[in-house]
Amino acid sequence: MKKQNVRTLSLILCMFSYLLVGAAVFDALESESESSRRRILEQKRSEMKKKYRFSEDDYREIERVVLQAEPHRAGRQWKFAGSFYFAITVITTIGYGHAAPGTDAGKVFCMFYAVLGIPLTLVMFQSLGERMNTFVRYLLRKVKQCLGFRHTEVSMENMVLVGFLSCIGTLCVGAAAFSHFEGWSFFHAYYYCFITLTTIGFGDFVALQKKEDLQEKTPYVAFSFMYILVGLTVIGAFLNLVVLRFLTMNTEDERRDAQERASLKRDRGLLDGTLGLHVVGEQSRADHRGRSNMLHSRSHSTLFLPMEEGTSRTNLIASPVEEQERRSTACRQRLHFQIKADRCRAESSLGSLCSCVCYRLGICDSPLMSHSEHLGCHINSVYYNSISYRIQGCSPSSRDNTGLSSPGSTLSPGHSFREFPRFRRKSV
Amino acid sequence: MKRQNVRTLALIICTFTYLIVGAAIFDVLESQKETTQRKELDKRKGELLKTYNLSADNFNELEKVVLQLKPHKGGVQWKFAGSFYFAITVITTIGYGHAAPSTDGGKVFCMLYALLGIPLTLVMFQSLGERINTFVRYLLHRLKKCLGMRRTEVSMVNMVIIGLISCMTTLCVGALAFSHFEGWSFFHAYYYCFITLTTIGFGDYVALQKDEALQKKPEYVAFSFIYILTGLTVIGAFLNLVVLRFMTMNAEDEKRDAEQRALLARNGQAGGHHHSASRGLRNVYAEVLHFQSMCSCLWYKSREKLQYSIPMIIPRDLSTSDHHSGISSVSTGLHSINTYRGLNKRRISI
Repeated sequence: MKKQNVRTLSLILCMFSYLLVGAAVFDALESESESSRRRILEQKRSEMKKKYRFSEDDYREIERVVLQAEPHRAGRQWKFAGSFYFAITVITTIGYGHAAPGTDAGKVFCMFYAVLGIPLTLVMFQSLGERMNTFVRYLLRKVKQCLGFRHTEVSMENMVLVGFLSCIGTLCVGAAAFSHFEGWSFFHAYYYCFITLTTIGFGDFVALQKKEDLQEKTPYVAFSFMYILVGLTVIGAFLNLVVLRFLTMNTEDERRDAQERASLKRDRGLLDGTLGLHVVGEQSRADHRGRSNMLHSRSHSTLFLPMEEGTSRTNLIASPVEEQERRSTACRQRLHFQIKADRCRAESSLGSLCSCVCYRLGICDSPLMSHSEHLGCHINSVYYNSISYRIQGCSPSSRDNTGLSSPGSTLSPGHSFREFPRFRRKSV
Repeated sequence: MKRQNVRTLALIICTFTYLIVGAAIFDVLESQKETTQRKELDKRKGELLKTYNLSADNFNELEKVVLQLKPHKGGVQWKFAGSFYFAITVITTIGYGHAAPSTDGGKVFCMLYALLGIPLTLVMFQSLGERINTFVRYLLHRLKKCLGMRRTEVSMVNMVIIGLISCMTTLCVGALAFSHFEGWSFFHAYYYCFITLTTIGFGDYVALQKDEALQKKPEYVAFSFIYILTGLTVIGAFLNLVVLRFMTMNAEDEKRDAEQRALLARNGQAGGHHHSASRGLRNVYAEVLHFQSMCSCLWYKSREKLQYSIPMIIPRDLSTSDHHSGISSVSTGLHSINTYRGLNKRRISI
């Protein structure tokens, strides 16, 4: 079975077992205390009913009033400060529920607000988290250099450790602050910070709910908002470091499979025919042989090099598929591909992705760098890089072949194209 | 400034603006009702105090009891079915709060449980979502073939439309089911499904809290759980399709910059006199290409034209093809080839 399917199935099984185990443990931990508490409270209730001589309906009425008045106990929830708090809980998906829109219009707006706000917030936190990780990486390297370490590269373990420590630090700072301001125990404040920053947001503990804090204690309100947003950034940075790569694994595998399929098809197709083109190609090659040698010594050539012979594709964007071919190809095949590229692209659904911003093509390694694998890859580096696409994945053996918008894997840029054509030409 | 920094700053500003605008609008929509409701409740409370001859203290005591009994109104919350429901709300980060661990041990375990469960669930939903997208893409491709359409590739727009439709359908199915079982209006049930599937989970509406449903209606309980998990998968698939690529943009740009630096460093060493001039030209060229990269979508559309023009171009332009920078091909059509021919002519003359 395909790797992605195996992975997905095992994740589903994992999650179900995790849920079952969790349910069992929570049952064991809480059931007992729940039933005893319930008994006590129901007893108290019946005592009170007797004491005040409530009928069932009377009690229902009182219960209704009390429950409806509950959110009001904490002060005005929908003035600007409270609304801002609510807006934060919506777009970060924390969702305490301490205040929920009562009007239908509020509910409708809440839904639209969430539809746009949640992706915006997700992308924002990941973006900022990545910037933070880069900065931390830079700082850590400088620290290592200052301390005179032999190896000044920052490893993944270093980053994970620092990330983990900053998460714990953030939680502890929040716990200290909220236990002071809200009068909770340190443990309960820590629990509150954790539930908030993981965006679970039960609502059993909610900050800024002591009488009129939202309206009166403005510095504390500002601190709370900043804490929530900064804390979410720290957690987001950690997730960006550790979890994000796993979110894109299936997509990358799928792309790689598609490229392999396409290259297999093309290999088969090559045998069938478009020899006419090959002939033409070879002729032109022959013409060029003389000229290209001359060209290499030109500084001009560096400008055009990224394209190298035959690289001239009209299909820059299709190239990830083409690149496969190129690895073992003679020039003529490249020409052949240019015509086939569109057809191949039709076969692989890669071609259909049209996101201007995310068009990323990887660059293959230069043949020199990894001649065993990437024979025939072009090096289209600087220019493409600056334009935010690279041609990627030229070798069937490279696991990181992703044609378009690949989140993670890129092959290193090539450069010594100079050798390459010579190499190629001989094979033709 | 580096592109990633610009992007990040822009996103931060966007988010803050979004929050401020949202807060203002919520204020306008809800403040009024809040004030009137509060007045009403205060009045009612006063009436009740008078009717039953309660002192304020008595009422506070009553209030406390009622509020403490609130979670129990929905029935037993921590037997296995209820715990499973709770575990779902933890690892999916929905977090209704209809039941929250009251013991300290429960709180500690809840934190540890979430620590491992949330990443597991994120990865699982994205993984399954990607599989679903691939399958849908395949189905659509087959459908297009069957219908005899000219172009059978599935475009991004197709996928986005299907994603949107499936999200709406999921919400509507849930709204119908929950409005029937819970006795809510369709709109409130839809609102509940939306708040649940976006994992916000206010807890103002919570399923399985009526009439001891958790203990007495196992089929409804099973349906609810399956609905939540399936709905989250559908939303996850849509997010995987649309949003995930943006979450990795900074990292990709960073990698690309690192490669570029490495490349320049290497060229700098290898180079010598060739490169000084070419580097300047390269930068200019890079700028041009950068502009062209913005039009890559257009290029894509024009691909079809190229598809027919390539066979004509290539034989003629073989001499120039070697030196094509493919990027120029990003801009549409023959125009780019001509540019190249011009450049090539220059080279030849040298």
